[in-house]
Parts: sequence; structure tokens; C-alpha cells
Amino acid sequence: MIRRVLSRPGMIVAALIVFVAVALMLAPNLFATYDPLTGEAGDRLLPPSPEHWFGTDHLGRDLYSRVVHGAFLSLATAGLAVLVGVVIGALVGLLSGFIGGAVDFVTMRVVDVVIAVPSVLLSLIVVAGLGFGPVSVAIGVGLGAAGSFARVTRSQVVRVRNAEYVEAARTLGVRWPAILTRHVFPNSARPVIALAALEIGTAVLAVSALSFLGFGAPPPAPEWGALVSAGRDYLATAWWLSVLPGAVILIVVLAVNRLARAIGGEK
Amino acid sequence: MASNSSARGTRIARFLIPRVFQFAFVIWATYTVAFLLLNLLPGDPLIAALSVKGGDATPTDPEALRELRARYGLDGTLGERYLGNGIAALTGDLGVSIATGQGVGDMIARALPNTVVIAVLALLIGVVTSVLLTFAAYVAKWDWARTTLLQIPPLGVAVPAFFSGLVLVSIFAYGLGWLPSSGVRNPLSVVLPSITLAMPVGAIFFQVFSAAVLEARASGYVFTATAKGLPPRTVFLRHVLRNALMPSITILGLLIGYLAGGTAVVESVFSRDGIGRLTVDAVLARDANVVLGVVLVVAVVYSIVNLVVDLSYGVIDPRSRARLSAGAVRRARAKAVVER
Repeated sequence: MIRRVLSRPGMIVAALIVFVAVALMLAPNLFATYDPLTGEAGDRLLPPSPEHWFGTDHLGRDLYSRVVHGAFLSLATAGLAVLVGVVIGALVGLLSGFIGGAVDFVTMRVVDVVIAVPSVLLSLIVVAGLGFGPVSVAIGVGLGAAGSFARVTRSQVVRVRNAEYVEAARTLGVRWPAILTRHVFPNSARPVIALAALEIGTAVLAVSALSFLGFGAPPPAPEWGALVSAGRDYLATAWWLSVLPGAVILIVVLAVNRLARAIGGEK
Repeated sequence: MASNSSARGTRIARFLIPRVFQFAFVIWATYTVAFLLLNLLPGDPLIAALSVKGGDATPTDPEALRELRARYGLDGTLGERYLGNGIAALTGDLGVSIATGQGVGDMIARALPNTVVIAVLALLIGVVTSVLLTFAAYVAKWDWARTTLLQIPPLGVAVPAFFSGLVLVSIFAYGLGWLPSSGVRNPLSVVLPSITLAMPVGAIFFQVFSAAVLEARASGYVFTATAKGLPPRTVFLRHVLRNALMPSITILGLLIGYLAGGTAVVESVFSRDGIGRLTVDAVLARDANVVLGVVLVVAVVYSIVNLVVDLSYGVIDPRSRARLSAGAVRRARAKAVVER
């Protein structure tokens, strides 16, 4: 196992990046060098330097510290989004596949449509209906992903439903909620978990995009997408304000995707 | 002779009717899902939009609110609104924007051309680049070169459009001064948005296309063609490309959806007027009427493209004429490649 991991340097780098990202999220004060919300009026728009690694923004705030503190909002929102997607999708898929028949048919046609609607558009509809903020963004992104989860869960449930151990449990007189939770769900969970891992990277991207567009947490809060958006006005003179937070998002997403594919069983 | 042609008519009808039915179903279901999400989520659409527009000056007088509701088509029960909006949309009337007071149909018609231009260019750039890179991987002599060529482009899906767009702007607009950074007036202003949009779209297309090419490469007919002594370029053009055509066209149909979503970010990055920016502005203004209108238009465009794709199967591949469900199966298969 260890040798297999060591033989793939890309994996080690990816794992390190994800580890650091989680550490930033859980203990930002260990990494941040300045306060993320108060700036020095004299230090406006400084370029990157040993003093300010990512430079400073138009209010003299240290950009690196803002990125560090933004990890929690951005990554937690993405995590919540995946959770929303998994819970809703798995529930729909589980019931649809288990009940079968007309219920299954109608449910899956609705799921087809939800999948066909571009997920960004679906998130925008939800945000338009719910209002702005990280929680609405998470629900919007999560609903956009729920369709795929429903489809994968259902296909697994249909496969497991007719397995011998389920039949045996039924013959023994086990009630169906117990069959569902104790036999069907554990045996159909693996592909759902693999998909959830892949969905994290997508969710980080989608959450950052929505926060870039201005639907996330309100201004002083340092959300990654919002940082990129705030730097846009100074692109001609201080490119690093947009480009560095954007590069952080890209690196985290690439690392998360690399790990997720490993979880999914790809070499 | 007559019986022969009527048999053919029946066959075509049996091919067409389910697809036309599916076409209508997707549009209706998208309208329903969007309508329910906009109206069932907590919060009154009119109050939400007015509070964004007016700040503290939001009218609270019930009489004034009732009048506004009637003007924006937000009066009546949920069922009445659902039917009323739906029937109006069928006649081409998408209602009035709560934020601007203009007709939603007019706003979309004005924005659509700008978006179509960059969407078509992005597709072209993405497809041409994918074909060139895949051909390079196809003829590559060394394994490492082939692996690199095949593994790098899919990473484009992970590049946030707001990041790649801003990097392109700071290099080509502010750094070198070759291209405009924003707007729609200058004809050159389409270049950077198209390239930005082409990255994720091209990455998705590349995955499906290169997978299909590699599958064809391993097949018996390519082995035969090569054994006959045909040069690689001829084998690629005449045998591989033709067999990779079906999955490629399928994914092009699906990409219309990705394009519609992608323009929201790209048009905001480049401050271009278009469908994406219209949607973002409508969400910022909590303008449910415009959001619903855009979703309907996107659903119609998406369905038309996929109907054409379904019909093209029969033209491209004679084998699929017999199978009614071919379109749906192929779409599911193409999507599975992307999701992995």
C-alpha cells in the first residue's frame, strides 16, 4: 500500500495540498500572518514581498491572510453542497429504486430533466429564489449535483435489491426499513462515495464561481471567489490580487480531483 | 411502390414521434422545475425584487402591491400563475422584468446574438484543438508523449473560467495591449471570451473524442487499413474520424447546456452583454420573471439542438435507424465518459 502511494509522486503532492487546505480551514490562525479584515492605510496595493506574500489589497489588507481565512467559507460551503447533493440524491435514488414501478419511472424522468438543466443555471435559479449567502449557494450547488447522485444510487439499489442476501433477509421476515438501512444502503454506498469525492472539486469550482458573481457571503468576508472578483478592478495595475487567489482555487481543485480519482479506483 | 413508400413513412414517423414528444417533455419539465424552485422556496418573488430595487423605499401599501403583482404577472394562486405563465410562454410572451420593466422576450432577443457568437467560436476552437491534439497523440511514436497529450487537456475542466479569463486579460489586454479587455463594440472583443469559454468545453469534448478515437484505433478495420499500407493520416481521416463522429456529435448536443452555464461567468468577467450576464443581473436583482424566461429559452435551444442531433444519427449511421432509443442511450453513454 505504502509503496504503491510512494511510486506516484503526483498523489503525494495532491495529498499534501489537500492536507494543507484542510489545515487552513480548521486552524487559519496558525497560518495567517495578519488580520484578514483590518488593513494598514499606508500599505495599499503592495506587490508580493517577503512581508506580504500575496501583496495587499486596496484597503491595505494582507491578501495571503485573507486567502487563508477564506479557506473555511469556501471549502465548508463546497462540503455542505456535496452533503446536500448526496443526502437528497441518495434518498431519492434509494426510494425510487426500492419502490420501483411507476414511482421509479416518474422519479427518474424528473431526475433526467434536473440533470439536463445546466447545473450553473440550476444553482442560479435556487439562489434567485432563496436569496444570497453561503447557505443558499451550497443548496443551489448541491441541488445541481443531486440528480447524478440519485441516478447512481438508484442503479446500485436496483442491482442490490435482487441479491440473495436481501431475499434471505426478506424470507426471514425482516421489515423493509431494516432491509433498506442494513442491507441495501451499505451495499450500494461505494459508488456513491466515489462520486461524492469527485463532486467535491466540482463543488469548490461552482461555489467559487457563484461567490465570484457576488452571490456568496457579503463583502468583508474573505471568500475565495469574492477575492478574485474584488481584485478585478485593479487588474491593470495589481494583477496578483485576482490571479493569486484564482491560482489557489485551481491548485486545490486539481489536488482534490486527483485524490478523488484514486478513491474511485483509478490508477 | 405505393406500399413501399407508405412503409417508409411509417418508419420515419416511428422514428420521429417519440423524439418530438421527448422534445416537448423536456421543455415542459424544465419550465415546471424552474417555476416550482422560484415560487416554492421561502420568500415572495415580488417583495424580494422590490427590496433589492428600492431599498427602504419599498412600497408596503397592499393596494400598490396588488397593482404591481398584476403588472408583473405575479397575482393569482400558484396554479393560476403556473398555467397563465405557461400558456403565455407558448404564445411567445415571457412577461415583464420586475427590475427594468422591459419585456423579458425583448431583453433576451437583444442579448442572444452576443452570446451565440462567443458560444459558436468557443465550440469551434474547442473542437479544432481537440482534433489536432488527438491526431498528434494518435501518431505519437513515444508512449510518454501520447500519455502527456491525452492527460493534460482534460485538466481544463478544473480551470475556473473567472481565473483563466482574468489571466488572459492581464496578459493580452493590459500586458501586451493586443486585445480589448471588455465590452462588445470592438469585433476583436470576442477573442478572449471565446478562448476562455473554449477551455472547459474543449476539455469535455476532448475526453469523449479521444476516447472514441482510441477505441477505433484498437479495432479490426483500422488494423486492416494499416496492414494494407495506408498512411496514418488517411487511416485517421477515412476510418477513425468517421467512427468517432457519433459520440462526438452526441457530446456536442450536451455541451449546449455547459455553454449556457459557462457564459454566466465568462460574460461577467469580460463585461459583455449577453444571456449569461442577463441571468446574473436578474439573479442579483432577484428578478424571477427574467430568470424563468432565460431558463425557458435555454431549454428550447438545448432541446432543438438535441433533436437535430437525434435526427442526424439516422443520417450518419444507417444502423441506428432501426433503434428507437438510440439517441437516449448514446447520450447516457457520452455523459458517463465525461462524469468519470
